Amino acid sequence: MTVGAERTDLGSRPVGRKGRRLRAFLRNPTFIAGLAILAVLVLIALFAGLISPGDPQDMVAQPLLWPGDDVQYPLGTDSLGRDVLAQLVYGTRASLLVGVAAAAIGLAIGMVVGALAGFFGGWVDTLLMRLVELFQTTPTFLLVIVILVIVEPTLPTIAVAIGLASWPTVARLVRAQFRSLRESDFVMAARSLGYSRLRIIVQEILPSALPPVIVAASVMIANAILTEAGLSFLNMRDPNVISWGGMIGDGRDQLRNAWFLTALPGAAIALAVLSLNLVGDGLNEILNPRSDQ
Amino acid sequence: MTANFLTTRRAALAGLSATALTAGRVHAQVPKKGGTLTFLQNAEPTSLVSLTTVGTPSLTNSAKTTEGLLEYDYDIKPKPALATEWKISPDGLRYEFKLRPNVKFHDGKPFTSADVAYSIQLLRTVHPRGRNTFANVAEVQTPDPLTAVIVLSKPAPYLIKALTAAESPIVPKHIYEGTDPLTNQNGNAPIGTGPYLFKEWVRGSHAIFERNPNYWDPDLPRIDRMVCKFVRDAGARSVAFENGSGDIGYRTPVALADLDRLKKLPHLVFETEGTSYSYNVQTIQFNLDSQYFRHLKVRQAVAHAIDRSALLKAVAYGYGTVSHVPIAPGLKEFHSPELSPYGYDLKKAEALLDEAGFKRGPDKIRFRVPMDFNPIGDESRKVCEFTRAVLNRIGIAVEIRAQDLSAFAKRVYTDREFDFTYNGHSNLFDPTVGVQRIYWSKNFKRGVPFSNGSNYNNPKVDALLEGAAVENDPVKRRQMFLDFQKIYLEEVPDISLYSPLYLTIKNKRVHEDSPTADGVESNMSRVWLDA
Amino acid sequence: MRMGRRIARTLRRTAIHAVPTMLGIVVLDFLFLQLMPGDAADVIATEAGSATAETMALMRERFGLDQPVLTQLASFLGHLARFDLGYSPRFNASVVDIIMERLPNTVLLMVTALGFALLVGIVVGSVMAAWAGRWPDRILSVVVLLLYSMPGFWVGLMAVVLFSVKLGWLPNDSNMTIGSSFTGWALIADRAAHLVLPALALASFFVAVYARLVRASMLEVQRQDFMRTAHAKGLHPFLIQLRHALRNALIPVTTVAGMHLGNLLGGAVVVETLFGWPGMGRLALEAVLGRDFSVLLGVLLLSSFLVILANVAIDLLHAWLDPRIGEA
Repeated sequence: MTVGAERTDLGSRPVGRKGRRLRAFLRNPTFIAGLAILAVLVLIALFAGLISPGDPQDMVAQPLLWPGDDVQYPLGTDSLGRDVLAQLVYGTRASLLVGVAAAAIGLAIGMVVGALAGFFGGWVDTLLMRLVELFQTTPTFLLVIVILVIVEPTLPTIAVAIGLASWPTVARLVRAQFRSLRESDFVMAARSLGYSRLRIIVQEILPSALPPVIVAASVMIANAILTEAGLSFLNMRDPNVISWGGMIGDGRDQLRNAWFLTALPGAAIALAVLSLNLVGDGLNEILNPRSDQ
Repeated sequence: MTANFLTTRRAALAGLSATALTAGRVHAQVPKKGGTLTFLQNAEPTSLVSLTTVGTPSLTNSAKTTEGLLEYDYDIKPKPALATEWKISPDGLRYEFKLRPNVKFHDGKPFTSADVAYSIQLLRTVHPRGRNTFANVAEVQTPDPLTAVIVLSKPAPYLIKALTAAESPIVPKHIYEGTDPLTNQNGNAPIGTGPYLFKEWVRGSHAIFERNPNYWDPDLPRIDRMVCKFVRDAGARSVAFENGSGDIGYRTPVALADLDRLKKLPHLVFETEGTSYSYNVQTIQFNLDSQYFRHLKVRQAVAHAIDRSALLKAVAYGYGTVSHVPIAPGLKEFHSPELSPYGYDLKKAEALLDEAGFKRGPDKIRFRVPMDFNPIGDESRKVCEFTRAVLNRIGIAVEIRAQDLSAFAKRVYTDREFDFTYNGHSNLFDPTVGVQRIYWSKNFKRGVPFSNGSNYNNPKVDALLEGAAVENDPVKRRQMFLDFQKIYLEEVPDISLYSPLYLTIKNKRVHEDSPTADGVESNMSRVWLDA
Repeated sequence: MRMGRRIARTLRRTAIHAVPTMLGIVVLDFLFLQLMPGDAADVIATEAGSATAETMALMRERFGLDQPVLTQLASFLGHLARFDLGYSPRFNASVVDIIMERLPNTVLLMVTALGFALLVGIVVGSVMAAWAGRWPDRILSVVVLLLYSMPGFWVGLMAVVLFSVKLGWLPNDSNMTIGSSFTGWALIADRAAHLVLPALALASFFVAVYARLVRASMLEVQRQDFMRTAHAKGLHPFLIQLRHALRNALIPVTTVAGMHLGNLLGGAVVVETLFGWPGMGRLALEAVLGRDFSVLLGVLLLSSFLVILANVAIDLLHAWLDPRIGEA
């Protein structure tokens, strides 16, 4: 009880608004729409085996059937005679996994670097910002490609490569937050109470710094999915796994007569990214109530 | 339906077997002069002279400006080019060439035997294949400006076939002498004796060649300009053929899936001529030091599991010829008609694996093994996927491993960290040049791509290959290669799959583009266009 | 602060800052690239389908590829000090020449794409802000969100299917009709026709970014004091939007656009590959696959230089747009 009282005394921190927050989440249509689509995609990924039983890489039918030609293969077949619907379903897994993993890695590194730079300032800040600059001046896509040449492309290495290329933006964001928050009242109070620096960083500042980071997270997942698609298109993909970008790359040869092979996976990517952007927008509206309709 | 198309076409053409080069094919038409030919090429060359590099794009462009001593008909029988007559001594150690008089390089300097001697010595040193092709050359004598004599220390029965423009370019001595051939700018703006002058090369985009008004044949060339466009995307090439912005392309320049559709277009012609100088054979290559594939039984099992016809159909829509041996069916003189003793038989495959000690585990898998592939070629990944699917049925779990070309070369040839891989080799113009390098134990050279990557070592095979390399009697030579292929089939150091069919696609207004064995890789001096 | 002095100070600050940064980038990148398996000789030999140990050794020796890493680095830095970017073993030409051949193409593509995106984005964003909450805003929001979500290269592919394949209006490869000899208007028309689809593919994403940004910034600005003052003064609402809101909204937009311009070189890799556009993105990719470190480092160096340049330009632009912005 004493601790709680101390906590509330530490200035204008948004503690008692949890209930209001939750309701705000649920009332925001953009957020709900995005979340719904995302939930469907996650379910498809989880239950891929039930939706499309069998091995999606198996060459089961006549190649290049159009959607609707054969009831058994409602979305047609590709040049090796594999079921497009099954590939789309299983591709959900790869895209979502890489997206989330890459974003997680990028966030982790970015938050650590940004927090340290923003909190300590001085030479730590200068050094870390130089590092950020170094990464930001290198064309991101090229960096990812080079990493994937050094270590062969598999789902884990692709996720790590994309994560490694995307942390600078997060770092900048977190640093900005920390810089503004470290001078605020509740932090000064915490310092005067003798809290350790680590505790201040993690328990005091970080929670308040999170809102823009959470918004950024959804964007990062979206970008990771787009980057993975681009890489697959350039043939830098895991050959043992089906991915939407890979499907586009494979289907490119048939652009003239079987353009559905590129259209369908592209639409799937767009849908996934759209849902993530909706979630991100919704989160932005809720957590940063200044920008209003 | 496509198979029928090809057989009827082939049958029609067989009736007109090309002994006369200049007649081209079915025309009594009079060649017209003038026009611009747009030649679509699949990739960017690194040099416009195929002296220090033999990448296909360089081969394609080199011969337009830089010629060779000879040309060859579809059966690789020599015909005059820069050399008008040739005599080979009975012991096969002296090749005397009478050179064509009044030939000038593009800068006006005369072509003489000194250029021939210099070029051959250069090919011995810097050419990726020339080193081996001309290895037995002791000296090149030049008794007079129009006679060149190649003197060998040992016979080289393949040498007389090696003298096309692209394979053994005759370059101007006065431009290369005293310079470093690797950086000589002639590779970027070539001067040669060829029917076309170099005009411009915009990297990433195109190269342009123009008619040489002082060419040694006053009637040739017939067109005014040749524009070589580098179009990396197969789909874009398809569109170009369709809308007429591309006139000709070779090595099946479009996606195989597009062929059916393109064949229906009336303005396009598809030909198979001009591809006999370098047949490819695609193989599944084993690392004979691999813990799995060192066992003959395991290799035999894999061989039993692969149905070559099904594979050809799945990955190449049937555009190719099944081959059980590494010497392509197109090289009729040396190709062995024997079939592999390990036919498609999954039960046998499983029995062999059991015998080899690789029983199925509780998860039904005998062992997991990675498969690499040469990333050149759109079908590579598909072959691996096909292999994975079929080997899965006999309990071998294949994991496909992707990497770019450089990493592939390093892994397979330098580090040798692979178990098996999908790869392809060109037979080139003679098995000694194209096939021996893969199975000869003395060509096990780490760090050298397309050497004996398997580390195959069989003294009997070595003896046969070495014998064939210096055997002048064609009958004896043929038998040596047949014997080699027999051993190869039994020991299965790798599994030969098929020889791809390389189609040349052209607009029907293009004529006499491929009267020689090397097709459009020749100097294309005779090509002409309808008005 | 006077503009002239301002510019001088910014440039001086940048120069002092930039040189060690670029140097650091070069050294780190060089060492990093060494991790890639294989070298240029491997690639050339494998592409050719034939090689001998001797010819590969010859090539390596000629281009210094067999030297220890630090020696190669020292040599590279030595060349750099003389403003020489080195020689490419793969293209057999100087790196500067190779880059100069391709740079204008990429600049043309990116500037066109970004310019188009800025124009359309600002207009759309302004419209969205002006009608905020009402149906034009809602519809445009959906469209913008879709553009934001679709992979650029996929947009490009679909555009090719429609405009190149089905309708045959536009070409889908390269940046000009090769071998043609157009002059004057015909030349411009030919180049423009080839530019449309790739620029569109690139721009689709950026249009969405700028539109959203402009909308958000303009709405933000509208609620600020000076806007209310302008309203109170009785100025026409549209004029207010244009002069004040837009001008202030341009600050974040130009920042982002500047960042995008700075990423000019790597950003277009996929689109350039798709359309066969002979630009720097494709060059960089080819250099990676061909292990042509000289070219790759040249590209990376140029890229970092461009980013720094873009940052300077943005700083100065901001100072002009909003004189209140003091020293950073």
